[in-house]
Amino acid sequence: MSRVKAYLSAFRMRWKMELQYRGAVIGGVLCQMFFGLILVALYRALYAGKPQARPIEDVVTYVWLQQAFFRMLLSSDGDLMDKIRTGSIAYDLCRPLSLYGYYYARIMAQKLLGSLLRAAPMLLFAALLPRGWGMALPSSFPALLVAALAVGLGLLCVCAIENITMAFTMRTLDSRGMQAMLNLLMMTLSGNILPLTLFPDAWQRVITLLPYAQLLDAPIRLYTGEWALWQAPRVLLTQGAWTIILLALGLMLWRKNQKRLVLQGG
Amino acid sequence: MGTVKLYLKSMAMLLKSQLEYPASFLMQTLAQLIMEGGEFMAVILIVDRFDHLNQWTPGDLFFFFGVMSVTFYLTECFGRGVTGAFPSMVRMGQLDTLLLRPRGVLTQVLCSAIDPRRITCIAVGAAALVMGSRMSGIQWTFLKGIALAESILLGGMMILGLFLIECVFCVYSVKSVEMVNALTYGGRSACQYPIDVYPRPLRLLFTVVAPFALTQHVPAAYILGKPLYHWPAWTAFVCPLAGGMVFAIMYCLFRRALRFYRSTGS
Amino acid sequence: MSYITVTDLQKTFTVRKKREKGHLTREKTLVQALKGVSFSVERGELVGYIGPNGAGKSTTVKILSGILTPDGGQAEVGGRIPWQQRKEHVRHIGVVFGQRSQLWWDVPIADSYALLKDIYQVPPQQHQKRLNELTEALDLGSLLRTPLRLLSLGQRMRAELCGSLLHSPELLFLDEPTIGLDAVSKLALRDFLQFENRQHGTTILLTTHDMEDIAALCSRVMVLGHGSKLFDGSLADLLSRYDTQRIISLRYDGDCALPPLPAGCESIREGDGYRITYAPQTVPTAQMLSLLQSAGPIRELTAQPQNIDHLIADMYREMDL
Repeated sequence: MSRVKAYLSAFRMRWKMELQYRGAVIGGVLCQMFFGLILVALYRALYAGKPQARPIEDVVTYVWLQQAFFRMLLSSDGDLMDKIRTGSIAYDLCRPLSLYGYYYARIMAQKLLGSLLRAAPMLLFAALLPRGWGMALPSSFPALLVAALAVGLGLLCVCAIENITMAFTMRTLDSRGMQAMLNLLMMTLSGNILPLTLFPDAWQRVITLLPYAQLLDAPIRLYTGEWALWQAPRVLLTQGAWTIILLALGLMLWRKNQKRLVLQGG
Repeated sequence: MGTVKLYLKSMAMLLKSQLEYPASFLMQTLAQLIMEGGEFMAVILIVDRFDHLNQWTPGDLFFFFGVMSVTFYLTECFGRGVTGAFPSMVRMGQLDTLLLRPRGVLTQVLCSAIDPRRITCIAVGAAALVMGSRMSGIQWTFLKGIALAESILLGGMMILGLFLIECVFCVYSVKSVEMVNALTYGGRSACQYPIDVYPRPLRLLFTVVAPFALTQHVPAAYILGKPLYHWPAWTAFVCPLAGGMVFAIMYCLFRRALRFYRSTGS
Repeated sequence: MSYITVTDLQKTFTVRKKREKGHLTREKTLVQALKGVSFSVERGELVGYIGPNGAGKSTTVKILSGILTPDGGQAEVGGRIPWQQRKEHVRHIGVVFGQRSQLWWDVPIADSYALLKDIYQVPPQQHQKRLNELTEALDLGSLLRTPLRLLSLGQRMRAELCGSLLHSPELLFLDEPTIGLDAVSKLALRDFLQFENRQHGTTILLTTHDMEDIAALCSRVMVLGHGSKLFDGSLADLLSRYDTQRIISLRYDGDCALPPLPAGCESIREGDGYRITYAPQTVPTAQMLSLLQSAGPIRELTAQPQNIDHLIADMYREMDL
């Protein structure tokens, strides 16, 4: 019980820290809205030339949801990276906690609050835009519920992915390159740079099965109704399976790292 | 020409110091390649799905993308002091050190950083440029070469000018840097595609405030032989001068900011 | 006319406090860093500039080196007004900040020097001559090809000094140059500064918290506190004003209690002996000695003046800093 409490307080600490940067949040949100508008304008121009099977409203909704939850994807715990680089992570190693759990809680707090703070004003803005420019309503109420559930699973997934990145970072010390590459992979394969729905259809069959597509792409498709309700169990199962696999992989890597660090004496 | 010599010497030295960490440098360069490669892939995938954008063929779109990429990343590579390093220089008190030397501050800021990792981005841009030129069957003439060089040079000046706003904000210790990013990085993303696909407000923004359209699109469209808005050919040589104007205005503001800095201290 | 003339120099900073919850506007407070400071320094002088943290020392240095513009008062260095003729002025001065580097971190220091040559536009022969002189005096010859980041703190400070002196400045500002240095490096640094001062007549203004630096180097000290000049004169003069206490350490043969001491004296137990602080003006030393002897046979006794750092601390306290 007390252990859970410790993870919760790690979560709370990070939550408070996030709340302190309200100015940056406002700036970030405005910038993100602007990026969203540019993308929507571009896709509208493209659609005007050659309409696709899925209506433009779906793509626009896709763009806004991606922009709103952008922070969920972005790894930005620079604090932690510095700790690893400078070696002061040794202090954390002395704590009577599973490091994996501790950082999982931290990352989760940051991603959850970071994206909630940004998503709320963004989605409101997107909902107020005229039809074809703004976000459409979910295809049905159950679809909304399923999509929300899927976002939750996506969050569990992305935190697990980031913890794996961290574990790699600890091994290679100067890992800015490695990290940048993993981030880019994430941005591309999760549909942030270009909606996955606009990738060639043959690619999509593979890409949607990868872990990155579980983060936001799957929930968005459930929301827009591109994936119907009867497909929801399959989607949620895929997400759940990846979550478990990634958690296990991360846990294993951290255990190994911890052993190594203890052996080396930091 | 002491200034140019000083700049070149500084660049050589900074390059040397970056190569002190070859593995990290290589990884980061590779990461940049994947990043810009990903951006280019997005354009290719879009072309694959939509065939064309208004009157622009795939080759035209690649050419626009290439011009933008080459200009933007050349600026980021050689103007790193302004586009990235300045805020930390103010924070760490390095600006004081620059003020202690008998040279212009902007010269020294430009001399203080280089980002050679961008070379891969520039390469991707150049590849897109060549590909686009081939596909669109551009008949290169001396004048077209001049137009391209002018576009890249003055476009770079303009981008430098836009980033100078960030520096000015930084001196006045304004925190919301993200807002400026909407102009710089937002401008880059938006203006990878020709300006006439966007609705009027965005067109105005990128013609009057951050004139990417004037420095990049007008000359590029001239080179492609499809003049933007059917403007006469001489506009391709005059419009980019707007980039120089942006730089000049921002430079004056920067000087004013320095005067403020010296009268208030840090 | 003196080399540096400062008259009634004033500088006020606006400090913005961080926004508290619920407050939309930031609170501003004005901090007067300099409240009308005046002094003059002759060419070739070696002056120590001391005062507690926040007294306005670095503000003065920043104004005199042209980084900051004062709010009021005049300052001239070698006939130039630093903040109005920044580029011309900084050509003639050198500045070393003890905790900040002006050299490039990852490249051999020789490369840094070559770039500084271009920045200051020093003619090549003159540069080479000066570089040879400095590398010899600072014992940097074997380190020239080493990147800065691989140097020890002492070596780094020597390298920084060399960098600041390459363009043969007439005036050198040193801001806590000996901070964090070991004894050997400190002594070497002091020797070098004296050499540079004598050889080239370089005027040196030194701010420091290390009183030994001042004692070893400076014929003149200025004390700054709360933005005002509180003292200007020789270190000996400064000390004689506050140096009123002496310390006796003694040990008796066998266990022996200390006799009751006159008012104003302090005693503390130190190992199996005592340490007594007294003021010779009120209790003459002879009287103190006979009093101590009356308690029993003394095995060991040493008398010494008060530690210089204590003196300065006393002085700051007395000046209410």
